[in-house]
Amino acid sequence: MVQQQFSLSGKTALVIGAAGPLGRALAVALAEAGADVAVSTTTRSQQEEVAANSCANEIWALKRKGFAATIDAASESDVDNLVQRVITEMGRLDVLVNAHDLPFAKPLTEITPEEWRRVVDVNLTGVYLSCRAAAQPMLSQGDGRMINIVSLLAERGMVNGAAYCAAQAGVMNLTRALALEWAKTGLTVNAIGAGWTEGMALLADEESRRKLERYLPGKRLAKPEEIAGIAAYLASDAAAYLTGQVVWIEGGALSHV
Amino acid sequence: MAVLDKLKLDGKIAVVTGAGRGLGRAMALALADAGCDIVAAARTRPQIEETAELVRAKGHRSLVVPTDITDPASVQAMVDATIAEFGRIDILLNNAGGATAGMGKPLEEVTDEEWRLGIDTNLSGTFYCCRAAIPHMLRQGGGKIINVTSGFGLRGGRDNFMYTTAKAGLINFTRSLAMTYADRNIQANLIAPGLFPHDNPAMVEWWRGGKFVPMGRLGRDEELGPLCVLLASDLSSYMNGDILALEGGGLSGGHAPTGFAPLLPLKREV
Repeated sequence: MVQQQFSLSGKTALVIGAAGPLGRALAVALAEAGADVAVSTTTRSQQEEVAANSCANEIWALKRKGFAATIDAASESDVDNLVQRVITEMGRLDVLVNAHDLPFAKPLTEITPEEWRRVVDVNLTGVYLSCRAAAQPMLSQGDGRMINIVSLLAERGMVNGAAYCAAQAGVMNLTRALALEWAKTGLTVNAIGAGWTEGMALLADEESRRKLERYLPGKRLAKPEEIAGIAAYLASDAAAYLTGQVVWIEGGALSHV
Repeated sequence: MAVLDKLKLDGKIAVVTGAGRGLGRAMALALADAGCDIVAAARTRPQIEETAELVRAKGHRSLVVPTDITDPASVQAMVDATIAEFGRIDILLNNAGGATAGMGKPLEEVTDEEWRLGIDTNLSGTFYCCRAAIPHMLRQGGGKIINVTSGFGLRGGRDNFMYTTAKAGLINFTRSLAMTYADRNIQANLIAPGLFPHDNPAMVEWWRGGKFVPMGRLGRDEELGPLCVLLASDLSSYMNGDILALEGGGLSGGHAPTGFAPLLPLKREV
């Protein structure tokens, strides 16, 4: 049956940035599709640590293996150690999901160089670091899936979004370059372009959320599960010929002028 | 297994144009595998009858409707026949199309007939099918439209005018469908298949086995099936106006091993 081609049974995944609602849904969707899933935070905050632990609990409740790690995703040694721990404790790494997300909005003239670097470090350099670390086991297996989560702001600009937009667009084209670099190795690299999703930090203000919903073609935000389901497809054997793509899941927001 | 359960299409009615061969047949069979009954529409009756037999062998119903999608009356009759038989249309897969009219000629040699036939087949046919099916989808409370574009809908091609124009037109047509019907639970998306030779040795040779595709190979018909099921299912409930390209990496840099600039020095200190 065609559904069986989507199964992730026997595969091991790592989701970096599993503390937010979208990262959590991504990890749970991969586990529901049959994968064992390790998860991590993006920053070393206690709030993220608690959320990542609770995500790991959900994975265990699905009878899948996994663990939660607290890391700074912009730290080379943290990322290398995390990937090493996945290999040591879970035996292999088939699917890497980079759901790094450090939202940031400020007028350009007010952004300090330190802030700019931190936004680019976590959102973009962090993805480079984890792709680099995961490439070694995946290239020796001759098989692997990398899925980078980007925002609509990778494709469209936003007032006060300079640092975040630049970093997100960087991840989008990093995806294309890596897809080509590894095209003949069995390793695919794709991005998911996630639309405005329930629970996003940028949508905490009720009034701006309602305004946004009125503007969206479907008049509603995405549920995190609606983004995560596509990741399960991209992670599966069914998507072996799909690489270098940005798969947008944005409810038609990019169809809008 | 909640995620995989969303892929079930049991009892859904899918209309597939160009269902008699190639990708159309492969996608029709994948939809049947996922649980759909299939309306097989195409010009050539024996081919769609064969597709219908394959669907029935999977335990699903299939209706054969010889259809010329370039003729609005023929399309309307096909949709009417579908409603008469099954009462609804859940999935419309606009797969019928063709690249060959005027292909390989410089613009000054493309004839009026080639241009009209190509645009009618690739672009107007999808418009006719959507126009006829959407009232039923609205009445039912929703539906899924899957249009088939191409990498040539996103990029140009030398001596390739009609096809690039029609396929690009389909992309923006689909975006407007998304804008218009998103709040009434119709999702319209696009598949952009790469090079799929359908086991035809001449095509494999013509495309040099896919040597110039970054992934180094051509597509296999069965690889389109899961993608089509994905876009027909609840798993893609928030995708709208979007393109899923299954093409081995060509669009990310160009059909050359290192992207569009194959001869630059590949390693350099900074």
